[in-house]
Amino acid sequence: MPNIKLQSSDGETFEVDVEIAKCSVTIKTMLEDLGMDDEEEEVVPLPNVNSAILRKVIHWATYHKDDPPPPEDDENKEKRTDDISSWDADFLKVDQGTLFELILAANYLDIKGLLDVTCKTVANMIKGKAPEEIRKTFNIKNDFTASEEEQVRKENEWCEEK
Amino acid sequence: MSAMEELFTELPVPLLSTAALLRHHHQHTRYQPYHRLHQPQHFHTTPLHELHTLQHRTAYQESQSLFYPQDIQQDSDVDRGKTHISCLYPEILAIIFSYLDVRDKGRVAQVCTTWRDAAYRKSVWRGVEAKLHLRRANPSLFASLVKRGIKNVQVLSLRRSLRDVIQGIPNLESLNLSGCYNVADIGISHAFVAEAPSLTQLNLSLCKQVTDNSLSRIAQYLKNLEVLELGGCCNVTNTGLVLIAWGLKKLKRLNLRSCWHISDQGIGHLALGNTSLEYLGLQDCQRLSDEALKHATGLTCLKSINLSFCISITDSGLKHLAKMTNLRELNLRSCDNISDIGMAYLAEGGSRISSLDVSFCDKIGDQALVHISQGLFNLKSLSLSACQISDEGLSKIANTLHDLETLNIGQCSRVTDKGLTTIAEALTRLKCIDLYGCTRITTVGLEKIMKLPQLSVLNLGLWHVR
Repeated sequence: MPNIKLQSSDGETFEVDVEIAKCSVTIKTMLEDLGMDDEEEEVVPLPNVNSAILRKVIHWATYHKDDPPPPEDDENKEKRTDDISSWDADFLKVDQGTLFELILAANYLDIKGLLDVTCKTVANMIKGKAPEEIRKTFNIKNDFTASEEEQVRKENEWCEEK
Repeated sequence: MSAMEELFTELPVPLLSTAALLRHHHQHTRYQPYHRLHQPQHFHTTPLHELHTLQHRTAYQESQSLFYPQDIQQDSDVDRGKTHISCLYPEILAIIFSYLDVRDKGRVAQVCTTWRDAAYRKSVWRGVEAKLHLRRANPSLFASLVKRGIKNVQVLSLRRSLRDVIQGIPNLESLNLSGCYNVADIGISHAFVAEAPSLTQLNLSLCKQVTDNSLSRIAQYLKNLEVLELGGCCNVTNTGLVLIAWGLKKLKRLNLRSCWHISDQGIGHLALGNTSLEYLGLQDCQRLSDEALKHATGLTCLKSINLSFCISITDSGLKHLAKMTNLRELNLRSCDNISDIGMAYLAEGGSRISSLDVSFCDKIGDQALVHISQGLFNLKSLSLSACQISDEGLSKIANTLHDLETLNIGQCSRVTDKGLTTIAEALTRLKCIDLYGCTRITTVGLEKIMKLPQLSVLNLGLWHVR
């Protein structure tokens, strides 16, 4: 298997199997669009991903390299968050900062499987919490004016209906 | 380590020179967790999948200069150098929110303004039906539903004008007023004053004050209606059906359960106008006779008909249904006048039904199963609860109904382990079986049934969830 080199934002280079790197649609498209084929010893710069996160992303992609392509989103199907594999759950036992950076990296690199599972993980952190608890969990400042807050409360009262 | 050093450790090398910009930025974001330069490449309302493309092209080409939000750090007292959730673009927040149930979607909208705006994106609410108690005035509610792209509404209770809903949500696709007992003709006529072409589903079940006058409005203005539920609207008469036939040409599903005034002639009206009808619910329309079924043959697209509790239907009526080539589901539950002979008419008439329910038809016995086994080869679901059948009859269907997946023989007290053994040996595609109240079966028979390779539902209890 040929390898390619990926360079993180902080200048570290990672040598990765091309097939594993191509689980990132961004990298796959780059290689195709720019005609970077296997013979050339080129380095793919990834200015938005630091080495710590890139290392984790490669770890994830290596474990999932033989996964079938993730299914297209079905509008009518209710989205589940209880189907995270135990390996992924362990992999995502990280602090919030790392989790959000993984989401940004998955989004930038366009790795649907990783984006799905990281977003599900954040959704699970939100579930069942009142707005104030959510603010505390993620350290978010309530920036509503009193009247805005009252309006948004009224607009969403119905969501509490069983 | 100072705050600025921490900041630098998070920055990609090329961005170090932008520290001045960050500092400038810092001032602006002091009291708000979300800053404006949040997502430089996401300013346009481009769908996410296109954004990916856009993003990686620019990312590669401008890799030396591009400015990315996750590299900007917030006030150090807020996140102490860690990437904060405010770094996630609204598109990503919307993906996260799309995984939440309705209650939690409503709660994230109340967290802060950025989350509200992300939570009100249409992608978050796709397919959601808003369940509303319409009591006090709530001026911004409908506008906020429209903004979220919500097009399905169930009204749980109504103390305000129905007109508010229709005018407040102009693109409404589905309106469920089931059980809103105070909906009356006057409310309907105030609500529908112009064509509402987007509305395709209307549920007026148990709106008992509704009469033919309402149907006149509905037929005039809701031309694109595909589903109309009128179960329990006992004031509806054959005149109402004339109006439905005249106006609602796209109707696919019509439920007239317990519309007791409906007679054979009414079904004749429907057959003249509503030729695209696929489902017709006539449960408990006790005036209907075999003549109604003769008229029903004009509904050439009909796939499913529910005649349960239509006690005036007899075996002869089934001759007409047997001729309906598109009919797949036939419900004759508790039709007291249906007997073995009716099953012969269905089988000999070439019926291609895949689902038949004759539960609680006292006159259905083993001979009915002989007829069924000789003609209704397409059956996937057969319900015979409380019928007078025995092991003998079951052995007949076991021989020929190879596609059967569901068999409901609850309260068939003559069935024994012998019958279960026959089933277990021959009906290998069976997925669901109901044996509630089969008093003569024992664990010996049940063990045989349990060995069926595809079995997923075995019901022995009173409450059978179908």
